[in-house]
Amino acid sequence: MDASEIQPIVQFFQGRVPFDSLDEQTLPRCCHALTIGYYSKASGFVPLDPDNPQLYIVRSGAFEVRDKSGELLDRLGEGDYFGFPSLLSGEEASTRVAILEDGLVYHLPPEIFDFLRRESREFDRFFNKAFAKRLRHQGRFKAKDLTTTSRVTTLMSSDPLIIDMKSSVAKACRLMRSARVSSVLVLDNHKLVGILTDRDLRNRVLAENLDGRLPVHQAMTPSPVSIESNSLVFEAMLLMSEHSINHLPVVDNGIAAGVVTSTDILRGQSSQPLLLIGEIERQQNLQSLIQVSKQIPLLLQNLISADARAEEIGRVLTSVTDALTRRLIVLNQQILGKPPMAFCWLAFGSQGRQDQAACSDQDNGLLLAHEPDEAAKGYFDALSHAVCKGLDECGYVYCPGDIMAQNPKWRMSLDKWQQVFDNWVRTPEPKALMHASIFFDMRSVYGPQSLFDSLQDSVLSQTKGNDIFLAAFTGNALTSAPPLGFFRKFVLERDGTEVKGIDLKHKGNALINDIARVYALSAGIKEVNTAKRIRALMEQNILNRKDALNLADAHEFIAHMRLSNQGLQYTQSLPISNYLMPQELSSLVRHQLRDAFKVVHDGQVGLKLKMMRSY
Amino acid sequence: MKNLYFKSRLQIKALLCKNDIICDYYRALAEQVSKPLLQVPLMVVDLEMTGLNSQSDQILSIGLIPICNGLLEVAAAKEILVSIDGSVGDSATIHGIVDGQLAQAVSPEEAIEWFLTQTKGHLLVAHHAPLDLSFLKVLSHRTYGHAIQFMAIDTMALERKRLLRQHDVLKEGTLRLDACRRRYGLPVYAAHNATVDALACGELLLAQIAHIAGDDQLTLSELLN
Repeated sequence: MDASEIQPIVQFFQGRVPFDSLDEQTLPRCCHALTIGYYSKASGFVPLDPDNPQLYIVRSGAFEVRDKSGELLDRLGEGDYFGFPSLLSGEEASTRVAILEDGLVYHLPPEIFDFLRRESREFDRFFNKAFAKRLRHQGRFKAKDLTTTSRVTTLMSSDPLIIDMKSSVAKACRLMRSARVSSVLVLDNHKLVGILTDRDLRNRVLAENLDGRLPVHQAMTPSPVSIESNSLVFEAMLLMSEHSINHLPVVDNGIAAGVVTSTDILRGQSSQPLLLIGEIERQQNLQSLIQVSKQIPLLLQNLISADARAEEIGRVLTSVTDALTRRLIVLNQQILGKPPMAFCWLAFGSQGRQDQAACSDQDNGLLLAHEPDEAAKGYFDALSHAVCKGLDECGYVYCPGDIMAQNPKWRMSLDKWQQVFDNWVRTPEPKALMHASIFFDMRSVYGPQSLFDSLQDSVLSQTKGNDIFLAAFTGNALTSAPPLGFFRKFVLERDGTEVKGIDLKHKGNALINDIARVYALSAGIKEVNTAKRIRALMEQNILNRKDALNLADAHEFIAHMRLSNQGLQYTQSLPISNYLMPQELSSLVRHQLRDAFKVVHDGQVGLKLKMMRSY
Repeated sequence: MKNLYFKSRLQIKALLCKNDIICDYYRALAEQVSKPLLQVPLMVVDLEMTGLNSQSDQILSIGLIPICNGLLEVAAAKEILVSIDGSVGDSATIHGIVDGQLAQAVSPEEAIEWFLTQTKGHLLVAHHAPLDLSFLKVLSHRTYGHAIQFMAIDTMALERKRLLRQHDVLKEGTLRLDACRRRYGLPVYAAHNATVDALACGELLLAQIAHIAGDDQLTLSELLN
């Protein structure tokens, strides 16, 4: 009996994680070992035989896994698995599987399951609960050098200048003049047949004493070297230097999609963060800063297309914002004169945590060394308004909640700030705390570090070990829960409802930020970046190593998904949002996200146990 | 009670039969049919033929897959190719069996012997069973001089009975294997060979049993009529 005879079963498993990791001989062998059962809704539950644990693979129908207390653990459709925890642990199943819709289920016997785990490390890892181990082995989060990994499509000018091969050279020159470019693509019947560049006009027309009536095809470089739009920028650079050319047509499936020039590549490199920050620091007025800040979205796209770590993207983008803020402060001081006292420009929320992404708004405040007189008040009012307005014009829109230095409420002396925090910590009103949480992610962007430290130290000394405050703050951190996973085309919430998409920021990363913040405040940790907070918590043994690594990995993974989703939205000219639609996900990513949500949920449960025990 | 009827009917057939092999075949099945339905060993069978006439057309291949305790056992699925007189001709486009493959085929006599050995002690299951059974009957008559009276659950007849309770007339094609499977939400199988069709038929039977029975005990007679 060969594989072709049960082709429909083999096909079902092909491309399905983790069975896709099995080789051509192993997969059919695994399919041959299956038994097939049919479960009817009328019988209620799938009978799980404790003496004969199996891996159950849903072929059709719908099922629901609940724990002994009846809490929903998962809802399963075609291609989902159940029964493996007891296969791995050898213990009796602690869950019940209800039949929601009649369905066909494949059963894989334990000896084959174990054999497959030995055959394929990916298979083993998939079913092994060690989530952190699994994510870290993917090797997809390695930060890479931009020029070697970003794609031609991010740099090329799309909508290239084109001309028919029978047109005259003079006409081509007029086109190039009005478009202010140095090349034009030559087409014959929509097919790219050549390129005409400034150099061709010099070498093939002027030097030969020919005139403008010459047809383009006699002057062009025929069958030019070209590249595909999803090639690496690095490959484009290689091609250009190999052939000593400066223009590279971008061709997808025979259709001219654009041109990439050596100038484009140079410009692309200038949106590298260090160069961009250097440029910001050189600008002498607001107008030129606004110009430079237009490169920031491109920088983000470059970082995303380079597959950089989400944590690094957040830090890079935030350092650009920081540089821009500092430059605005310095430029405005040149106009307003020396400040009447020392002050710190405070960044809150995502800028404070160094995890800015696309379309960040501004959250900031001003910390003054001492109580200002009227003149000082006037000075800082003018300065903060100018800086906030400058940030707005550079793309960091005004904070809708008015948490900005230009709001007198958030422009205070050290004493006043300490009182404000004191109030939050001493009388933790849930609603007030909800709005206050971003203030606890604060960082000084400008000003003397000692002044900032005085504020932060006094805040942390009050929060550290403060059970009442921490319990209230924890309650605040647990108001939202991550989804359970996915069911068919939908996101499955923990209460069993099915929704169309998931907000990766508010239902994912924000929840991890909340967890890390509560722990950090409980231990008096000064870090505000979530990854750094988690690391510090691990070093101080407040979180155990496994939980800390899981949380950090989940944070990175969800943030990575959010960024690559936004990268996709950007390239498709869709509005940038935090919303992810599960239809677009591969089965691997669905499983990974589900695992990441599980880590967030476990993190919330652990936080609740530690901080709300006595309440 | 009805199961005892099937058992005694088989025992009488065994008594009347002069061929030892066939006699044994009847007796082995008689042992099984009195059991509760879920414990009766079932064997889903599908034949690929050169045409629909059991007198003039020939069997090309036989696919088998057992159902044991309500579970289809893929590991025990089997298929043989049967050699024929002449060429596969037009039916090759349906079955994908080409003459070259038939080189590994067994003779029809070997095929029926293999079939009896494999299915002994099993109640047969087929979609549109009378057709498949008529070919096997003819072949057994040619081989042993005795036309075996096979007993089989017919998934098509079950489906017809179910649908006629809801509709007066059934549209053409309503009872085709794929159409029946679709009504139970079973997956569409693009490939067709004797094993895949036997698998498809077996899955359909499991779905039908679940549908008819719900939680009640189902008896053999409900499936065999």
